[in-house]
Amino acid sequence: MDLVQPTQENAGQMVKDELAEKCQKLFQAFLEEYQTADGEVKYVRDAEELIRPERNTLLVSFTDLEGFNQELATTIQEEFYRVYPFLCRAVRNFARDHGNVPVNKEFYLAIQDLPTRHKIRELSSLRIGSLVRFSAQVVRTHPVHPELVSGTFLCLDCQGVCPDVPQQFKYAPPTVCRNPVCSNRARFHLDTHRSKFIDFQKVRIQETQAELPRGSIPRSLEVILRAEAVETAQAGDRCDITGSLIVVPDVSQLSTAGVRAETSSRVGGRQGYENEGLRGLKALGVRELSYRLAFLACHVAPTNPRFGGKELRDEDQTAESIKSQMSVQEWEKVFEMSQDKNLYHNLGTSLFPTIHGNDEVKRGILLMLFGGVPKTTMEGTSLRGDVNVCIVGDPSTAKSQFLKHVEEFSPRAVYTSGKASSAAGLTAAVVRDEESHEFVIEAGALMLADNGVCCIDEFDKMETRDQVAIHEAMEQQTISITKAGVKATLNARTSILAAANPVGGRYDRSKSLKQNVNLSAPIMSRFDLFFILVDDCNEVTDYAIARRIVDLHSRIENSVDRLYSLDEIRRYLLFARQFKPKISGESEEFIVEQYKRLRQRDGSGGVATSAWRITVRQLESMIRLSEGMARMHCCDEVQPKHVKEAFRLLNKSIIRVETPDINLDQDQNQEMEDNGQVNGHTHGVTGQTNGVNAHADSSSKPSLRLTFPEYRRISNLLVLHLRRVEEEEEELKKSAVINWYLKEMESEIDSEEELINRKSLIEKVLHRLVHYDHILIELSQGGLKGSETETQEEKTFNYINLSGMRSHLHQVGVHTIDMNEYSQTSHLLFCSGLLLCNHPGICVFPLSVVF
Amino acid sequence: MPSSHDWINKPLGVVEAMFAQSNSNPEWEAKVLEYFKGQLKEKESHSWVPSLNDVPLHYLKPNSLVKFRCLVQDMFDPEFYMGVYETVDPSTKANVLRCGKYKDVTECGVDLNSRNTVTAERQTFYCVPIPGESPWAKESYGCSSQARVVPSTSYVPSRQKRSYEEDDDMDTQPQKQREPHTEPHGNGDSKRQETEAPSSQTTAPSDCSSHLDLNFPLPGERGPACLVKVYEGLDSFKLNDTLEIYGILSVNPVLTVLGEEKDPSLLLLNPTESMETPEEQRAHDPPASLVPRLHMLYARPLQHNNPLLPSAPTEDQSAFVSSFLVEMASVRAELLAYLTHVLLGDGLAAEYLLLHLISNVYTRRDVLPLGKFTLNLSGCPLNSYTERLYQIVQQLVPCSYRLSMSLHTMNSMRLVPKKDYVANRLVSGALQLARNTSLFLDETQLEQGQLDSSGVRNITALGNLISWQKVDYDFSYHQMEFPCNINVLVTSEGRSLLPSDCQVPLQPQVTPPNMEEYLTTIHMAQFTSQINKFRVYLSLARTLDYSISDEVTKAVEDDFVDMRKDDPQSVTAEDLHRMLVVARLLSLSLGQTTLSRDGWMRAKHIDMLRRSRTEQQKSLNGNEP
Repeated sequence: MDLVQPTQENAGQMVKDELAEKCQKLFQAFLEEYQTADGEVKYVRDAEELIRPERNTLLVSFTDLEGFNQELATTIQEEFYRVYPFLCRAVRNFARDHGNVPVNKEFYLAIQDLPTRHKIRELSSLRIGSLVRFSAQVVRTHPVHPELVSGTFLCLDCQGVCPDVPQQFKYAPPTVCRNPVCSNRARFHLDTHRSKFIDFQKVRIQETQAELPRGSIPRSLEVILRAEAVETAQAGDRCDITGSLIVVPDVSQLSTAGVRAETSSRVGGRQGYENEGLRGLKALGVRELSYRLAFLACHVAPTNPRFGGKELRDEDQTAESIKSQMSVQEWEKVFEMSQDKNLYHNLGTSLFPTIHGNDEVKRGILLMLFGGVPKTTMEGTSLRGDVNVCIVGDPSTAKSQFLKHVEEFSPRAVYTSGKASSAAGLTAAVVRDEESHEFVIEAGALMLADNGVCCIDEFDKMETRDQVAIHEAMEQQTISITKAGVKATLNARTSILAAANPVGGRYDRSKSLKQNVNLSAPIMSRFDLFFILVDDCNEVTDYAIARRIVDLHSRIENSVDRLYSLDEIRRYLLFARQFKPKISGESEEFIVEQYKRLRQRDGSGGVATSAWRITVRQLESMIRLSEGMARMHCCDEVQPKHVKEAFRLLNKSIIRVETPDINLDQDQNQEMEDNGQVNGHTHGVTGQTNGVNAHADSSSKPSLRLTFPEYRRISNLLVLHLRRVEEEEEELKKSAVINWYLKEMESEIDSEEELINRKSLIEKVLHRLVHYDHILIELSQGGLKGSETETQEEKTFNYINLSGMRSHLHQVGVHTIDMNEYSQTSHLLFCSGLLLCNHPGICVFPLSVVF
Repeated sequence: MPSSHDWINKPLGVVEAMFAQSNSNPEWEAKVLEYFKGQLKEKESHSWVPSLNDVPLHYLKPNSLVKFRCLVQDMFDPEFYMGVYETVDPSTKANVLRCGKYKDVTECGVDLNSRNTVTAERQTFYCVPIPGESPWAKESYGCSSQARVVPSTSYVPSRQKRSYEEDDDMDTQPQKQREPHTEPHGNGDSKRQETEAPSSQTTAPSDCSSHLDLNFPLPGERGPACLVKVYEGLDSFKLNDTLEIYGILSVNPVLTVLGEEKDPSLLLLNPTESMETPEEQRAHDPPASLVPRLHMLYARPLQHNNPLLPSAPTEDQSAFVSSFLVEMASVRAELLAYLTHVLLGDGLAAEYLLLHLISNVYTRRDVLPLGKFTLNLSGCPLNSYTERLYQIVQQLVPCSYRLSMSLHTMNSMRLVPKKDYVANRLVSGALQLARNTSLFLDETQLEQGQLDSSGVRNITALGNLISWQKVDYDFSYHQMEFPCNINVLVTSEGRSLLPSDCQVPLQPQVTPPNMEEYLTTIHMAQFTSQINKFRVYLSLARTLDYSISDEVTKAVEDDFVDMRKDDPQSVTAEDLHRMLVVARLLSLSLGQTTLSRDGWMRAKHIDMLRRSRTEQQKSLNGNEP
């Protein structure tokens, strides 16, 4: 077929490859002798399996090989292509020894667990012929067809038979008839019945995203699969491929191992390949100069997630297996992260470096990424582990940035806008607004990714039918499609991160969350966390925002500073997600207790204060969030501190939606009843609350309310006063504070009745400042307020304000001041620096306070 | 031409001489590069090199040095070649070492078993002319070239491989190149405009796809595509880079013949024989007469594509910049006046258009692109006003493209590049554009109706482009983000359905009875020298450095807090963002490289004017926010 047929082919066969033969012997010894820890010869059973007609490949672990004979392992790795036929021969001998196999059956070897791994970009001509492993994405598969491995030819001149002419990649009839008197060199007939074939498949793979340098086109490579490796990869799969690199279109030269042995002893061992297959313009003797590389695979396995890039979920993984796949440095980093006391905070800031503040949202999203543990009840109902988060906020409060960051970070994340959500095969309509001549796109449906995060911007703009679909996805984790009379249910195990705009464009604090967001109650209740971003006006945050933005624009060189790189976080996330924390008994009680509290408050709070009724859903949310929290700390057990943080977040996100009026009676109901009918109605208290005298009936609990600015005014006054006094190193008793206040207000008080009202009001404000907003700390003589429940009158209180707090720390035993919470709920004080202590989220110490 | 120009006419001779001297010392490769770099450094020497962009292929000598101004559209897999091989002279039996670098085919009589063969690696880039290059830029490049092309030497009429269209194209170009001096410029411009306008309408991709799809990003593009063989610095090149490549042209017809020699019946027996499918073959080895090969010797990344500006960042350029800076303010005033006329007397809109034209994504912070300034010009008069407006923009910027957002185009056009795994290539889309290309989205062409799935995808892609300055290329199993830097201008009737950084409702002060006439007159009134100044101005302002001093930083912060104090609803963080961009562009447009207090106040002022205008518009329409 080709003019320049290698003439030394036959001669080449004569050449003995001593190295390869030695390898064969040693390898056979390895198969015979290698024992597992319990003394069983490991590969005997595998070899016996090979009797089955459909089997022909023996899978050997490279680590076993290394453990058996380091030298042999090295030789095989470096000279894989050269020794491969000999290794296969060893397998054949081994199989024959251990089973009754047909004489002419061919056997093959596959090698797995090669420790090193290369990137596709590293597969250069230097690697030709050696054993390498790389991971890649399969993009195209060709049909399987038989390949001739050993041909039996019939000479058409003398009818002589030339049996077992080895073939490699190329149809190669014998160069000359074996009959010494016959000089036929061209006319041969292939006897297919007496020739051997092997399954053969070509597959194209492509560089994975993780390996790809930014701004480059992924490289691809043709991979040749044979024997049992055929059909193991489908387009779209991520695979780990072990084998060796070869050169095309020149492989005929490789047809015999002998020749290869001869050539490989030369410099680099490559030149020999270039012999044939250059499609020359023969008449001119001109050749094309280029070749391509291909990869001859001996083993294909699905990639494990770490190398497949950003895959976060995989059912088959355990923490141990993940660990074993990490390099030492990577594992150390993960370990270091798990020991980080500020992990919770650090992860949040590393994930969203360009977003200022909004720590709660960052934490919520973080827990969403860690997720809860999916469970199945005994009846077979599955309970989702995915956490859904919704961010409601004024325009320009970085909602989209949150979504974009998550999309960027997590694998299989879908980012879509409720307004023009994209879905294959679905359409959208362009409609013109007649008034303003603006075009509007009416939504299509959205795409949900199984095992991913679905980021939906402008969730409220989404059409109802899509919301219904989401509804199902969010709770049942499936999506049903009815088409052409067939109902299909698809898995949609996805976390949803949604962003919505408030109804009027801006969040109206005087309304409840429900009234502010255009979402149906069932959908709302399916979000575990709701965050409200209000575009607030206050100098400190404004300054911080301004600084951030101006910085962004003025300094070009300094890039985003992250404590942990995204890859590190991904790795950590993958590792931590393998934990399936169980709820400890202690935590269980704690959860029950917290839930009760929530329920009670819900019952008493009325519509305006709580966003919606607390239901079992919130209990489930709390469990999920606690589990996420435990996962983040790589704990096997959910501890009360995890629950506490989950409860805090939940509390933050749903119940304490910025209430316009301060309800001074919250959680104080018992005391209120004891106190009798003191609930007053002064001019500082809004009219919408119940008047004292008119509504003394106990069925509807009267509550004392104060408009927010009024509350703020009073508390400001108090705090300033306390601060002034404190500078003089004096301690104030509660009664002194009250008296001072009433004195200040003297001019405004006309009657005795009002005086009483004022007094009770100020008491409640103080109570709130101490117990809810934690602005003030009350000190009893022995230190901080003890657990004993004394009545208010009997106690002696010292009020300190926060800036003075540090000087008092040595006196006080435990400090639990959630400054952060305060700054979010009341906007009275703002912390500019926060230090988190050991138990994330529980104790937050303000370092400085700005009034 | 002097004999010293051998390096242009016979570069391979130079290479071979150096190879022969080297005695297979691998340093010769570096020497070759050094030599050509040195030659090109000499003053004006690069203008002696003929350019593939303006000289038709059949006028160029094979194996001569040519240059090519292009965009890297696709990158193929690396391939291996014989860097050094040995030939045997059949008569004398003497072995000769030969160099395989910068060549596609070997000499006769290769000794395939030689031990001296060296295999080396190279990569092929598929390069297309810079998409959307304005006619004036093309012409100006053509004029500045001093390469003397002697058609008779290489033009052999018997070459039939070229398609008819190609011929056609080739023939029109040299005319353009020769003629410009005979004609007064203003006249020539307007003339071309008239001929150009319809041709941009006939977005005829069928034009060349009948024979071979050259894979240009924009429909209706012409010019040679090129397979560039890259030998050094593979990692320094990125997709969509704009480069000026100097390399050795190879159009050896043997290549085509080699490619065609294939026996399908053998495929089954020799499955590895053809690792490539026929589609792939067609995409990767098109006939050399259509897609010439270029062996890269030297490549210069183009910072801008404006022929009127010195290209390399040399001393020349800094001198040029400083001399122009003096004029900056006055040119700005003239340009502003010109744009005001064009925008029917609306000074504010003109100001914003000017800022938009010099905007540039100067850095990225995480996911945030900084410096982008997408303008939505709403309230545009219908009836071809936008088309005229585009023509004027096209006259000012080196690269631009007008995308008419009609339902039909949105549904049918391919905006996002897609990987074709069968042919193993990246099928281009209209959003595969070079940096700083002006994309003119004409929403006035939109009508009510249904968007199908590809339409929805296209709209989403446009939205992403505007918001994040990146395009998600479709790799079928996943999407891959490619950052871009495209100036998007949206003209619409009402507010655009696409997001934008700022919206300016156009408030025409004049209502000319005949819009076309009005605009043509304005256009005609400008001298070419004037227009050239504008062009230089726009490209230059974009390249200036910019900083904000600590003092001004403080002032801006204070100002922001004060504004919020008065009315928290009026100014948001996003507004500050935008105002800082406006302030930056405003300062740069005046040639100031730092932000001054005045600059900040001006930015605030015009932003306020603009916002009051949008508010007005809203209340006019009865559309509550």
